[in-house]
Amino acid sequence: MLRAALRSLLQHKLRLSLTLLAVVVGVAFVAGTYIFTDSLKRSFDALFSAPQPDVSISVDTGFNQQGGGGGGGGAAAGDQAATLPQSLVATVSKVSGVAAAYGVVSADGALVIGKDGKVVGQNGPPARGSTYVADTAISAIALASGSAPVGPDQVVLLESTATSAGVSIGDSVRIDTPGGTVRPIVVGLATRGISGSDGSTLALFDLPTAQKLMLRKADVVTGVVVRADPGVSQDSLKATLTPLLPANARALTGTQRSADIADRLSTAFQFINVFLLTFAFIALFVAIFLIFNTFSMLVAQRTRELALLRAVGASRAQVRRSVLAEATVLGLIAAVLGVLGGIGVSQGLRLLLRGFGADLPSGPLVIEPRTIVVSLVVGVLVTLVSAYVPARRAAIVPPVAAMRDEITLPNRSLIVRTVSGSVLLLLAFLLARVALSTLDDGTRAAQLAGLSALCALIAVIALAPMLGRGALFVMGWPFSGSAIGRLARENGRRNPRRTAATSSALAIGLALMTTIGVIASSTKASVADVIDTTIGADFVVFGAKFQPFSPDVYRSVKDTAGTSAVTYVRQIPIKVGTEQSVLTGVETDVFPRVVDLTMQSGTISGIGLGQVVVDDKTAATLKLKVGDTVPATFVNGASSLVLKGVYTQAGPYTGWITSIPTLMSIGARELDSAVYVKVAPAGDVGAVRVSLDAALADTPTVKLQDQASLKDQINGQFDRVFGFIYALLALAVIVAFLGIVNTLALSVHERRREVGLLRAVGTSRPQIRRMVVLEAVLISLFGAAIGVALGLVYGSLLQKVLEPQGITKLAVPGGQILWFLALSVVGGVVAALWPAFTASRLDVLKAIASE
Amino acid sequence: MTNAAHATALTKVYGSGDTRVTALDSVDVEIETGRFTAIMGPSGSGKSTLMHCLAGLDFISDGRVWIGDVELSGLSDKNLTKLRRDAVGFVFQAFNLVPTLTALENITLPLDIAGRKPDQAWLDTVIDTVGLRDRLKHRPSELSGGQQQRVACARALASRPTIVFADEPTGNLDSRSGAEVLGFLRRSVDEFGQTIVMVTHDPGAASYADRVLFLADGRIVDEMHGPTADLVLERMKAFEAGRS
Ligand SMILES: Nc1ncnc2c1ncn2[C@@H]1O[C@H](COP(=O)(O)OP(=O)(O)O)[C@@H](O)[C@H]1O
Ligand SMILES: [Mg+2]
Repeated sequence: MLRAALRSLLQHKLRLSLTLLAVVVGVAFVAGTYIFTDSLKRSFDALFSAPQPDVSISVDTGFNQQGGGGGGGGAAAGDQAATLPQSLVATVSKVSGVAAAYGVVSADGALVIGKDGKVVGQNGPPARGSTYVADTAISAIALASGSAPVGPDQVVLLESTATSAGVSIGDSVRIDTPGGTVRPIVVGLATRGISGSDGSTLALFDLPTAQKLMLRKADVVTGVVVRADPGVSQDSLKATLTPLLPANARALTGTQRSADIADRLSTAFQFINVFLLTFAFIALFVAIFLIFNTFSMLVAQRTRELALLRAVGASRAQVRRSVLAEATVLGLIAAVLGVLGGIGVSQGLRLLLRGFGADLPSGPLVIEPRTIVVSLVVGVLVTLVSAYVPARRAAIVPPVAAMRDEITLPNRSLIVRTVSGSVLLLLAFLLARVALSTLDDGTRAAQLAGLSALCALIAVIALAPMLGRGALFVMGWPFSGSAIGRLARENGRRNPRRTAATSSALAIGLALMTTIGVIASSTKASVADVIDTTIGADFVVFGAKFQPFSPDVYRSVKDTAGTSAVTYVRQIPIKVGTEQSVLTGVETDVFPRVVDLTMQSGTISGIGLGQVVVDDKTAATLKLKVGDTVPATFVNGASSLVLKGVYTQAGPYTGWITSIPTLMSIGARELDSAVYVKVAPAGDVGAVRVSLDAALADTPTVKLQDQASLKDQINGQFDRVFGFIYALLALAVIVAFLGIVNTLALSVHERRREVGLLRAVGTSRPQIRRMVVLEAVLISLFGAAIGVALGLVYGSLLQKVLEPQGITKLAVPGGQILWFLALSVVGGVVAALWPAFTASRLDVLKAIASE
Repeated sequence: MTNAAHATALTKVYGSGDTRVTALDSVDVEIETGRFTAIMGPSGSGKSTLMHCLAGLDFISDGRVWIGDVELSGLSDKNLTKLRRDAVGFVFQAFNLVPTLTALENITLPLDIAGRKPDQAWLDTVIDTVGLRDRLKHRPSELSGGQQQRVACARALASRPTIVFADEPTGNLDSRSGAEVLGFLRRSVDEFGQTIVMVTHDPGAASYADRVLFLADGRIVDEMHGPTADLVLERMKAFEAGRS
């Protein structure tokens, strides 16, 4: 039987090649994801082989690496460097077993300005200013060339930072720091063992310079690194040091630090891996429809042959096994090709990520045995699952079918599918209703909505044959005037299951695309809404990388003529209970004039020292009411605050708000996160802009935004994220179109006698081509229509679920959806080109010859 | 008498070298307008090939072929297709109908493809002659083999073609259904003056024709006017005897 299976594979190789391609694409995506993340992981190995301190002491802030939400209109969480007294270095040095101890500074906010006058690096990753530790035995950062920085006029840059800035050793480079703008000479270039750049930058100074520039204080450090005497273990040294530390500090051994870093990296890689695999499995899921269709049609075409096998004594199980054997061989071949393709995909993913702004470190390709095993298993399993139902159907072909002339497998009724589909649809509806009534519990609502979406998807797949007959009839109406149009429409309708499976594959892809589209446009609309209704200022100054910036900026614009209000805000991380958030300090009398928050109780202008207002969501979560005393912790200590009011959360305006004096009494660095400028009613917006531009001309670290450019910038960031997701989903859509090519090619082959007859009675080649193309367009339009419909429903539901997260406005991207539909038509036409050409070239005589 | 179709020195060769088969060997033939011509001969004698070549379904190796005044050789695929659509009707042995179309839609198919309106009076006449008025809305799968062939005949006549070609139209039918189809072809010649060429190997079927051409090894070897089943059978036997 295996021989029969192999022979049949070879016989149908052309028709199977598309099926093969679909599996290859899916498996390659899976393999490529693993190869990509494994290789990325390997390229970070250098981090662990680099030297590092035996013990490092730092402040245990109890805060996450990333601060809370982005209060103050999109600025990053505020800034407060957690520090230790420098005297601790001397204390530690004296401990026996300590060979050397160094005070270090490492803080965000050293913005390197390139030769082009622009800030180097990307939004998001830190722009660090640190001390250079010359002790090579414990310093992960090594000098690649040049010398260590000494004194206020010398700096060492990370090689990638220097390259981006366009400077080399001997050049002077401008760096804007919390302590002011400096122009030191680059005396050395450093590496940290891994190539590429994550978009972060690093400038290294000696300790006094780093203290002055990054902390603006001479007697504090952010950490102490220790080299142990030979023979002293890291653990015992840590044990000796711990009792000497202040309460908010903690010591970590080198091993622990490595483990911490490895942990963090592995969490990040896990996330990337799962994220990418999701899209790989979507593509594979779509491929299942394609494989299913192919095997169904091959079985149908071979009914006579299978019946003959049965007639000469093959058992049902043998027939079934022979079809499954065919699927296994096909799956294996596809999986092997898929692993090879995975190498290409991993490079493609790297390029894609680079296109979206991440320059990843490069390293050798890593193909773990796990990658190969998973790919083979996935490839074979997907093919087997898809071929199982057709194989069962093959087994029930009666032997007598071999003797019959015309063979038609009985057209099974659609009742079971229709009934179960309707039940599922009802279930989906009920789940969605429950989800809508539990919006307060975000996680639960999301789970219910997801479950509802899954039910609806399966329901639609089950109902598609029934829907398809009607839908194609209606969609084909405009073409029914011509014989060719009617033929195309009826060809699409004659095998509802096949059409449904083909369309469903496309529907899945487009449902996801549309959902993303709805969420994307809703997000943008919500942002625009907040900006329109909340920001009363005409201009806002933000850090170019949304980092905090020097108060000089405020000083240089505050007296601009024609303005009625100019004010600044500062932010620091705050934690109340377990809720990490942002405390924004504002000038209480001016702030309400530039940011119009809806107060549910109290006023911002009324808050004094030690008093705060907070957004309604946080107040509800923490069960707080006006008048309560709130115990809060900060990076450098704790404080009690009195709640004086509650405002309605508006997009990024969330968290705690207090007066500037309160903020400074808690101990914030003197850095602003935003400056708001409101033009006087009689003022000239254009003139104010000119003045502001002039005042900020020499400050590339900040960016002047008006409301429109602010929207543009935020939208641009969303566009990049959503664009990346679209790019990954496109693969599933491509597989779906391969499915249309495949179905049509097989249909044309199946109907070659009919095509021959049409040709004999006078149908021209262009007419035959038009017939096939039209059928493809109807199939893809049907798939696109149900996909878009599903996507609209669930995009809207998701928006409701995400409303507490700030997506308050529902916006349907009408233009985009029309594009989806138009592209589906184009895709259908392209998919039909080859089958249509084949059909029009069929030999009339061969087609009509009686067998 | 004019000719609906004629061929001179018509030669058709399949394959080359060892597998070379001369299916038609310099055949001269004239199909008279308004008459019912049968082509007979043993299996493999070239009957279907002759029909395909006369009907413009297949390209010829040598010689010339005309339908009406139009010479086929030199026509592009596009023009040949148009000629088949407008001037030729076909009835094949099996698989004559498009399964997704109703009987009526199948009948008007060549007209619909051409984008022409059928002549309603003529259509009614044809439908009544084949006796299918109550089956027009049925799909082919809901019709018997005989009914299907009658629909095919109606389709062949619906566009009032210059000539109708039928290749073993009764080959798959029982004798009663076969007789109905043959009777219908006969009537269309007598009542409407239709020209028909029918390939068959059944002497009974040939007896419905006005004239029988006998084909053997790719040549026309004999011809009979006003045939009866017995006469045809006798002539066939004579050939078989002559060959062996
Ligand atoms: N497509 C073809 N390729 C090669 N030889 C063919 C082809 N069609 C017919 N023949 C050969 O041409 C001869 C005549 O065939 P055909 O016209 O079908 O005979 P008939 O219809 O009288 O049975 C036969 O020998 C047949 O084998
Ligand atoms: Mg024949």
